Amino acid sequence: MSYQEKSVTVSLVSYLLILGYYLTRIVTMFQDGGLVSSQLFGLWAIVIVGTILVNILGNILANIVLSIVHAIRTRTNKVERYIADERDKLIDLKGEKIAYITFSVGVFLSMLIFALGQPALVMFGLIIFFSISAEIVGSISQIFLYRRGF
Amino acid sequence: MEKYTVRNKIRKLRFQNNEMTQEQLAEKAGVTRQTIIAIESAKYSPSLELAFRIALAFGVPLGDVFSYDPEDESNQIINK
Repeated sequence: MSYQEKSVTVSLVSYLLILGYYLTRIVTMFQDGGLVSSQLFGLWAIVIVGTILVNILGNILANIVLSIVHAIRTRTNKVERYIADERDKLIDLKGEKIAYITFSVGVFLSMLIFALGQPALVMFGLIIFFSISAEIVGSISQIFLYRRGF
Repeated sequence: MEKYTVRNKIRKLRFQNNEMTQEQLAEKAGVTRQTIIAIESAKYSPSLELAFRIALAFGVPLGDVFSYDPEDESNQIINK
């Protein structure tokens, strides 16, 4: 498994954790009597900032841990080459394209639901959900391409 | 239109060059070992620049490493 592949896996795990947290909080809100705008705005802020922070911190931590594991396994101080070559860049682009398409479909569906009479809060809630889901789909497709070869 | 595919002789050339490892070739070509594996198993067709770098690593012309043949012919060659 290359460094890039490990990095994508770490991102995938962090996105899954964030999505899990988001859905849990939304379900809790519904059980407590429905969506409250003040609570929902706070949750969106946490999710957006959390996604960025967890992703960055997760990658830094994974970098450190993987370097230590690599040094122990190879018994050398030689640093593993963290280069992104042309195949990595192409896989990254394909993943981004798939994520973009997923997000676009998600935004369309969210707007459709709003047009059908649902409140704006539901629409924005769904847009946040689809933005994280799109990243998950993009990461999964990248891992699939890495596993397949291209 | 007849379908063509990119074939390569990287495995053979590595063997002929003092059994060069995939890691060594990757280092010479400036890519990851996973990319060399993908190219060698014909799952990924490299860019022209990378193809030249791989040929340079072996010290042979590009045509000695890569060829562009009809798919049927490549199957026959692989089966030989």
